[in-house]
Amino acid sequence: MPETGGFMVAAYIAAAAIYLSYAAYLLSKGRKKD
Amino acid sequence: MGDLLRATWAIAAKDVLLEFRSRTAFVSALVFTALVLAIFNFARDPTAVSAIDLAPGILWITFTFAAMLGLNRAFALERENRALDGLLLSPASRTAIYLGKVLANLVFVGSVEAIALPLFALFFNVPVLPVLGPLVLVIALATLGFVAVGTLMSSMAVNTRLAELMLPVLLLPFLVPPVTSAVQITSRLFAGRPFSEVTAWLRLLVAYDIIFVAACVLFFEFTIEE
Amino acid sequence: MTPIESAERALRRSAVWILVGLLLLAGVYVRALVFTPAEVTQGLAQKIFYIHAPSAWVAFLAFGIVGVTSVVFLFLKDPRLDLFAASSAEVGMVFTTEVLITGPIWGKTVWGTWWTWDARLTLTLFLWFVMLAYLILRSAVQEPGQRARYSAVLGILGALLVPFIHVSVYLFRTLHPMPVVLRPGRPTLPGSMLVTLVASFLVFTWFFAALLSHRYAMARLADARAHAAAERDDA
Repeated sequence: MPETGGFMVAAYIAAAAIYLSYAAYLLSKGRKKD
Repeated sequence: MGDLLRATWAIAAKDVLLEFRSRTAFVSALVFTALVLAIFNFARDPTAVSAIDLAPGILWITFTFAAMLGLNRAFALERENRALDGLLLSPASRTAIYLGKVLANLVFVGSVEAIALPLFALFFNVPVLPVLGPLVLVIALATLGFVAVGTLMSSMAVNTRLAELMLPVLLLPFLVPPVTSAVQITSRLFAGRPFSEVTAWLRLLVAYDIIFVAACVLFFEFTIEE
Repeated sequence: MTPIESAERALRRSAVWILVGLLLLAGVYVRALVFTPAEVTQGLAQKIFYIHAPSAWVAFLAFGIVGVTSVVFLFLKDPRLDLFAASSAEVGMVFTTEVLITGPIWGKTVWGTWWTWDARLTLTLFLWFVMLAYLILRSAVQEPGQRARYSAVLGILGALLVPFIHVSVYLFRTLHPMPVVLRPGRPTLPGSMLVTLVASFLVFTWFFAALLSHRYAMARLADARAHAAAERDDA
């Protein structure tokens, strides 16, 4: 089996970063009292 | 129907006359063409890359940029003195305004193409004459496609804060099917390939034209509602 | 209930859905990384599939929603439809970006290079460009009515464009054979992997729906507040 674990980790972290930051952005912006 | 045709013709004629008098966009397009020719000539290694490989792509880059220069002017003209209000108050239907603009833009782009093509044939040494008929057909079909969509996009772009910058952003994804088809067909024509190899691309091009010209005629009125 | 109160309620509800979605996402991560066997020919990188394919599905779903909502908006002219379309475009953009990042990472292990104009990835790239154009257009038009009309036109034309790009890329690839080592497609999966994939599809769809509801509620709230402020100014 080829050694591709590093790529897997990179992709999973990148995806998590994208989704977490967008969710956080939405949640915090939603809270903000105008 | 007669009214539609008359109004379309009148609007197209007005735009063409205006552009002919000032000629700035036309000259810019020609200068751009000459620049592209010169740069690609000096940028490539003639022993490594044959002109025929590059020529179709370069040809179509030039055509699309010339189209953008013309398209930017199309509605900017109206916006300058709020001339669009005058057009809208006239008995011309929205469809006539759109078709008139498309026709004027086709004349503009077609003129640039008519000058650029012989220059390319000359400087890139590509065999245009033997395939001139099919080549002109392909050029006409692809140009119709992207001018139709481009005219609609520029009617929106001109009303945004970013104006000229907005047009490429809106238009470029829509250029992919017609320009890709055109480049692929042009490349095969220059290489003397049999016609059967281009039928798939040709069908794509024709389908694109039918669908998008119809869609743009349908949706144009939503871009200039007052 | 006033529009503002209704939007605020929706906002609180969808915030909970988002948190649930994040938990579900974490569950998918654990399931895919720990409890799903690795594939022999590609190694661990094949697992990227479990977060790449569902994201792509969501990206196209989001854009489909933009297209359909835009058509309905032009008929019904209800501004809420415009807000919904815009919300779907923004959320869809996030998922599309994820596809374009995880795709090349996976592709590097399979193709040996980061990008090869693979048919599906290329289509996703152009989807990304159209969505970007949609969002930029919206930010460049001030008047809400005009913004809504322009967005709807672009949304519909963009939706029409997608099949043409697909055919263009398909023709380009079939008539231009390219060196392809392995296609990261959808192989027939053994049981455990299939379960993970289906679970991931469901979770990603939930997560998208939650983000979309929240974004839409935010848009409605901002719109309702703007209207209230305008009424106060008039009074």
